[in-house]
Amino acid sequence: MNQENFNIIYSENYPKVMRLCLGYVNGNKVQAQDLAQDVFIKVWDNLKNFRKESSISTWIYRITVNTCLIYLRTNKKRKTTNNLPPDLKIHIDNDVENRESKFKQLYNCINKLNDDNKAIILLELEGLPQKEIAEIIGINYETLRVRICRIKDKLTKCVSNE
Amino acid sequence: MNNFENIQSEWQNQPDIEGTDKGLKEVFKKTNELKNKQQITNIILGITIAILIGFFLYVKAYLEVKATLSLGLMIMVLIARIIIELLSINNLKGINYNLDFKSFKESLLGYYKRRVTTHYIFTPIILLLYVIGFLILMPYFEAGLSSGFYTYIQVSGVIVLVLGVFLIFNQAKKELYILKELMSE
Repeated sequence: MNQENFNIIYSENYPKVMRLCLGYVNGNKVQAQDLAQDVFIKVWDNLKNFRKESSISTWIYRITVNTCLIYLRTNKKRKTTNNLPPDLKIHIDNDVENRESKFKQLYNCINKLNDDNKAIILLELEGLPQKEIAEIIGINYETLRVRICRIKDKLTKCVSNE
Repeated sequence: MNNFENIQSEWQNQPDIEGTDKGLKEVFKKTNELKNKQQITNIILGITIAILIGFFLYVKAYLEVKATLSLGLMIMVLIARIIIELLSINNLKGINYNLDFKSFKESLLGYYKRRVTTHYIFTPIILLLYVIGFLILMPYFEAGLSSGFYTYIQVSGVIVLVLGVFLIFNQAKKELYILKELMSE
């Protein structure tokens, strides 16, 4: 694998990795960028082990949830906040503010879930086929389907403040 | 965001999260930095061992069997502790990120269980042997060194020991917490 091919992998997968990382760090962009960087370092280091049994995106998602698990466990006490400095906030119009507030609520709801459910729902939000999610998580498809229904319901209720 | 499809659509359309050339360069830069860091660790380890051996020769500990054994014991347990730590770091680095989430979590759990065993069994043994070696050496230090240097060794020995115990205790507490968290789910 040369650097040019890696550039393509990076640009195609960065938004997916970043969205997942944002979900893990309560929407803190700086921490998510660090985490995403960590993921791509591991992707680069492990490319020789990629056996093409799944798509490269699925494989990268797998590395991402594993990297985020370690991060979450070893940085539990680190304060996660997605609050912007007050002077920046003034310039943000209402639409953006509204969107940010919705996402803040969504991130809070995601972070109330346990490790397994968090990984499952983040991959479901990404729109990954459930068979691939089952493969990434390491549980059977039927079990996953039942679990996803429950988590989706829980998340939707939490986001809608029910 | 009042139904899941709506949440999903908002999620997938988050703006401003494209990868940049700068970010890509950072990945390669960080990869090289990590390799350099490993080399620096090896160099520091080498220097530490050289200093210990140098000190051993400086105080002429080899002239006395008891002093040789006690200083040798201290050096050996320090080296053993460093080796255990390096092996442990390599174990953590060596966890296979290609595994599925469930298997990865089990590997991580195994790693922290081994760490806790190290903290509860090996670390106290190592500390005890170190202190024994240090206490046996004290009369030799007193006889062979100036009173200033002897006081310095006494004070620094206690400070290093207290600091070491504190750092190890904190690390053990942190890792035990991680283990509990992993096991609770």
